Amino acid sequence: MTDIVQGYSFRIVVWALYIFLLAPLVCVVIVSFNYEPVQSFPPSAWSLRWYGEALRNSNFVNGAFVSAWVALGATLIATPIGVMAALGLWSSSSRFKPALEALFIAPIIVPGLVTGISLLVALSAVEMRAAPVKLLIGHVLIVLPYVIRTTLASLAQINPSLKEAAETLGASYRQTLFEIILPLVRPGIVAGMIFGFILSFDDVNVSLFLVDARTTTLPISVMSYLQYSFDPSVAAISSLMIAMTFVITLVLERMFGLKRLFAGH
Amino acid sequence: MSSVLAIKPLSNTPASTRRVRHVDKSTFLVLPACIVIAAALLIPLANVLLLSLNRSQPGVIELSSNFTLANYTRFLWSPFYMRVLGKTVYIAAMTTTLCTVFGAILAMAIWRAPQHLRGVIVIVVISPLLVSIVTRTFGWMIVLGDNGLINSTLMSLGVINEPLRLMFTDGAVIVGLLHVFLPLMVLPILTALDRIDPNVPQAANTLGASRFTTATEVVLPLAAPGLVSGITIVFSLSMSSYITPALMGGPDSGMITTLIYQQFVVTFNWQFGATLVAILLAVSLVLVAVILFEFARRTRKWMVRQ
Repeated sequence: MTDIVQGYSFRIVVWALYIFLLAPLVCVVIVSFNYEPVQSFPPSAWSLRWYGEALRNSNFVNGAFVSAWVALGATLIATPIGVMAALGLWSSSSRFKPALEALFIAPIIVPGLVTGISLLVALSAVEMRAAPVKLLIGHVLIVLPYVIRTTLASLAQINPSLKEAAETLGASYRQTLFEIILPLVRPGIVAGMIFGFILSFDDVNVSLFLVDARTTTLPISVMSYLQYSFDPSVAAISSLMIAMTFVITLVLERMFGLKRLFAGH
Repeated sequence: MSSVLAIKPLSNTPASTRRVRHVDKSTFLVLPACIVIAAALLIPLANVLLLSLNRSQPGVIELSSNFTLANYTRFLWSPFYMRVLGKTVYIAAMTTTLCTVFGAILAMAIWRAPQHLRGVIVIVVISPLLVSIVTRTFGWMIVLGDNGLINSTLMSLGVINEPLRLMFTDGAVIVGLLHVFLPLMVLPILTALDRIDPNVPQAANTLGASRFTTATEVVLPLAAPGLVSGITIVFSLSMSSYITPALMGGPDSGMITTLIYQQFVVTFNWQFGATLVAILLAVSLVLVAVILFEFARRTRKWMVRQ
């Protein structure tokens, strides 16, 4: 079968695009092993010193703790809410269903910057000043839509006759839910949790307006560091973040297949 | 089969009561998520939009009931703000165009890839999405910087004597945004491609269509819904991107988000900042609506032609 995809020019463009997608990430990792304090590419001598330097930078370490706690807290709050919403949407035959679907996707549609600003204004109006609480609220909004989407995607694959069979055999709603449905959608829930955790950990747009001088997330402290200096310790901390994400991504792809997370149904 | 028929009347008798309970249960289930999204997103957003109708008073953050359009007239009559808006639309449009072309190519490559390679390719394509935007932007600083990958390669090859100025330009912003948003274009197109019956492009080939004709006249129109949702997402996200222009742009690459950040964090003029947010959302919505409308018109024309 002849097909445009087999053409040479097409393949060259595709390979160029793969390189384009990976080059900046690979460069970050290479530069992190540089010895010189000045960034140059390719590095002239190699060392691990910038990893030590990055781990001694208290802004990075504190930022990492804040990011991890906020991401964990937001994921744990958003998951039960999201799973319930997905179950409700799945079993609903209400005419409001499309409206609900639109509502649940709203946190993805509204730009992160606008979400952050809206929360800044609203939380200032109610005199809520604690940055960790503000961050937590903002990040629940980041995680929630993804938990709903992955759970819905898993629910859509359940054979409806399984549920009917359980009900016919006399299982209560509770039994059907906890013993049939939830075990079947567990991979989807876990995938949504992991993915939401990564997005929350990496977020800048929503957090930008919710941090304060004492409580800053890791990506934001890296960003402010970048505005003043340009040494390879940024590359080292970034490489650690890439490594974390990559391991999680591999696990996620094995478990769930990444494409479905974004593409909708 | 017979058992299904036997059960049917049973479940039919209490149908009305069961249906009411059923609706109640799903309402109860969706309620917490509705409350969270309404309280943390929709009401705060409405509040910001209302704040844009207050007279601008730096330092004042409360909403008052004296509404005025003064902030909007200030924006519309200022050549500076209009120029920034024009720049924002230009950068978003360029990013979306490039994303559409390259996204379609990548999606077709994944679609045609052998099954065992597909997972790896999907990870490569999605990787930018899963790495913090700060890390990605930093990576581009290394690639495009004065001592970066491109300049040092070109200089060691003797192509140039002095480093090219690649960072801190509009082009750098567009490259950075393209990198960030390409996966968001590829995935919806890929989903649409996966729904195409593989016999259709094969039939086109059998009937004598060239490879290029098959791709552009048969496959792409069938993948159009994916293209449109990709274009919608990428355009509106590019309009509202902040980090990439802030870190990679030059002094005159300021986008409307740069101004928004200044109003909220530096000058504390929240009313005017809120106006900029409202204008950003309105312009994105209108332009996306134009894209969708144009797409619907073309689809109708295409259907009539068949």
